Amino acid sequence: MARGNNEILANLEQIVGPEYVSNEEADLQPYTWDMTWAEPRMPDYVVMPKTVTEIQRVLRLANHRKIPVVPYCNGTNIGGLCVPEEGGIIMDLKKMDRILKIDPETCYAVIEPGVSHAAFSAALKATNPQWKGEEFSKGFEFGWGVHPPSASVLAMAINHGIGHLNGRLGINSQLMSSMEVVLPTGEVAKIGSCAYSDSWHSFLPLPRMDGLFTGWLGTTGIVTKLGVWIFPIRPYRDVLTVAAASAEDITKYMVRWRHYSLCDEVTAVSWWLAQIPIVFPYSPKPADAPEFFSYTVISGWSEEELAYKRKMWQEVVAKEKAKGTKLIDFEYPPEAKKGRTELPSRIVGSTKNYSKSCGGGIAWPGTFAPCKSWPILYEKWKEIYIRHGLSPATRFTDYQGAHYGMLRCMTPFNKRDPASVQAARDAMVECVRAGLPEGMLPYKPPVEYQNELNAVADAGYLYLMTKIKDMLDPNNIMNPGKLGIR
Amino acid sequence: MSHLLRNKELKELGKIYDWVSMCTHCGNCKYGYEYGPKANFAAMLCVQGDKFNFDSYRGSRGKVSLARSLLHNRIGWSDKVAHVLFTCTSCGACQQMCETDIKPWILRMFETLRYEAWKQNVAIPENIKAWSSTIGTLYNPYKEPHEKRLDWLPSDVRSSLPNKAEYIYFAGCTASYRRKQIARATVSLLQKLKVDFTVVEDEWCCASPLLRTGQYDLAAKFVEHNKALPEKYGASAFITTCSGCYRTLGRDYTMDAPEGYADKYGKMTGVKVLHTTHLLEEMLNKGEIEFTGSFDKKVTYHDPCHLGRHAEVYETPRNVLKAVPGLQLVEMYRNRKFSYCCGAGGGVRGGFADYSLETAGKRVKEAEATGAELVTSACPFCYTNLADAIELNKSPLKMEDIVEIIEPIVKRK
Repeated sequence: MARGNNEILANLEQIVGPEYVSNEEADLQPYTWDMTWAEPRMPDYVVMPKTVTEIQRVLRLANHRKIPVVPYCNGTNIGGLCVPEEGGIIMDLKKMDRILKIDPETCYAVIEPGVSHAAFSAALKATNPQWKGEEFSKGFEFGWGVHPPSASVLAMAINHGIGHLNGRLGINSQLMSSMEVVLPTGEVAKIGSCAYSDSWHSFLPLPRMDGLFTGWLGTTGIVTKLGVWIFPIRPYRDVLTVAAASAEDITKYMVRWRHYSLCDEVTAVSWWLAQIPIVFPYSPKPADAPEFFSYTVISGWSEEELAYKRKMWQEVVAKEKAKGTKLIDFEYPPEAKKGRTELPSRIVGSTKNYSKSCGGGIAWPGTFAPCKSWPILYEKWKEIYIRHGLSPATRFTDYQGAHYGMLRCMTPFNKRDPASVQAARDAMVECVRAGLPEGMLPYKPPVEYQNELNAVADAGYLYLMTKIKDMLDPNNIMNPGKLGIR
Repeated sequence: MSHLLRNKELKELGKIYDWVSMCTHCGNCKYGYEYGPKANFAAMLCVQGDKFNFDSYRGSRGKVSLARSLLHNRIGWSDKVAHVLFTCTSCGACQQMCETDIKPWILRMFETLRYEAWKQNVAIPENIKAWSSTIGTLYNPYKEPHEKRLDWLPSDVRSSLPNKAEYIYFAGCTASYRRKQIARATVSLLQKLKVDFTVVEDEWCCASPLLRTGQYDLAAKFVEHNKALPEKYGASAFITTCSGCYRTLGRDYTMDAPEGYADKYGKMTGVKVLHTTHLLEEMLNKGEIEFTGSFDKKVTYHDPCHLGRHAEVYETPRNVLKAVPGLQLVEMYRNRKFSYCCGAGGGVRGGFADYSLETAGKRVKEAEATGAELVTSACPFCYTNLADAIELNKSPLKMEDIVEIIEPIVKRK
């Protein structure tokens, strides 16, 4: 069964070639849904461009005919971001999968949207940091997150994805250095140093126009090339773990520890998230079990450096214990430790949590929040989740020092049971509502969260956002419906 | 709510609806990847996705999504649905990568989808329909007369074989009708090694092509027939050079769902199933084989999907090759559980010959890149596709089955 119309199909075929476009429902159906509770919606066409010129031509056609365009790489964003709210064209960018440059001296790489984490990590590991041929160490790394290996590096970065270097370097969008973008009206623009030369090393000191395409959920244009900073792999790495009796206790420890900026990552997970699979539906934890478990990853260039960091961490734990913070000695299981040190591992084991035990559904209210709000929000979220029959499977992760961190609650649900889907959706939306006054902001937000955000947003902010959207995308063709403003 | 089972007519698929629902849609299945301390493995493994691009074709996620869309009545059956289903080679790469609870059910789900497709008015590939129409009477998918099944076997050898023996050499349809030299080499090898075996004239197709293409009803009598052969010939084991036969006899006949079809056809019990390389490895380990010559060539080994990912036999054939004097074994980048399919399986060689050979051509290029002079494998069907691609692409590579390498240079100690 075909959708759309034959004239548009013929135009698209002319642009990308017949084998790279389809309007058959059998081809369209995988693009209708994702892991989350997003209601499936059918696009009318899928196209797979191979060049920037093809993207320009597709966008010009779509803009002229006012057809929605949804950029798509792997569709694993946990926000329903690629589910086409209003049908139209899915622009599947997988064929644009070239790593265009790895500069081992200036330490950046230039990638296309279809470059997977798997391919990128393999290429980086095979490249050594150097200066004019003199190699300093072995291999580079980027921020490896929790995702399947096929996930797009570019899509993750421009949507504020997180990686294993968060604590040291910030989230992946903070590691971007230059970009090329095709505007909804078909023009191509380079942003950052690449606008002036073939060096893709920095957005600064120029105006940060990359912000027009970062965190906009594919609603302002299509990023076709991205420069990202890459980092030499430190040969020494260790994982240090401690548990705590409460969210308050674990937060105190994390805040003190990250004050020194000595770790690559510090994360805490609630007892329910530490279970494999996550307890579904909710049941209480054993009374004597810690409420939170935390790990921190330290890395270094020598055993001495690692030993110093270990010593500092032990001092932090000792000081907190002396103050009365209820920290509990706890050793991470070896397998879990391996998963944090041998990066990038296939850290999608977490998807196991959302399969047999529940019914295939997975989502979470993922947010950036000031760390001091973690314990407050945890207690609120816990009450909400338990009321909806869900476990408060919560995670805190620090992002680059004291400024902000991640707060999220992993939420399995049964896709076959409408009541289960509704409970998950209601709990998550309620959590977002509860968190906004505490400074919490959802990342990669599904439409439901966006509506909550817009309801309390500064009017001037929404005005400006709408004005920018209208300027860049006058016919509102880019992923319409996702921002809740058009 | 769109995630509910609405289509009750797809009964066979409906039976495994709970498993189909276990897919989280994470996409792990779409790409081969593994962490390594020095370098990561990263490569596309899905031959179907490699060729047809869209997510519908890529890994198991697209096909699970298709099953769900059909079960939820969100899409209808069409020729395009059939194309998505029948262009998958069932190589199992997506299953290898999957980490959720649907993992063991993935291939069974593909085959069940194909079973349902046969009941719809959709474009099942013509060549598959053609062999399907005669296999019930000819007992092979090559449309060859059954009475010629043993034509590959020299009459003097045939007459020298016992009526009853410990092993039945199950040559399979491809070696019997298309790659006769592999069957002849196997018999000669078994004789040289003084193995107590026989060859039976009433061997039928193992039913692999039927099961892999979802022809469950037609498969029943084949399974029933072949299961009775060991008792009839006083044998306690099947031995085969064919990876497809090995997978079918060894798993489909003996294991319940999702690994096999014993739940549907009853279980074959008390009969061992060996691949030829199993026997060779065992005899080498016991010191029962003496090499009388060497094989002075650089060789690369192609893992047949049915022996490798389907049955997890990776090292046995390699151990045999490594034991051969003079033979230098080199690996392709994609090997073992991360191997790249030759493109023949799942009915694809019969249904889509051009695409099948194009896939084999990619594998041949990969083999060439190793610097090997010769590609070997442990499956006559892989042999066929790779040898044809070698010829088609005018590759300098040669192709030989493992038994062809071993047979001329061994004797029983």
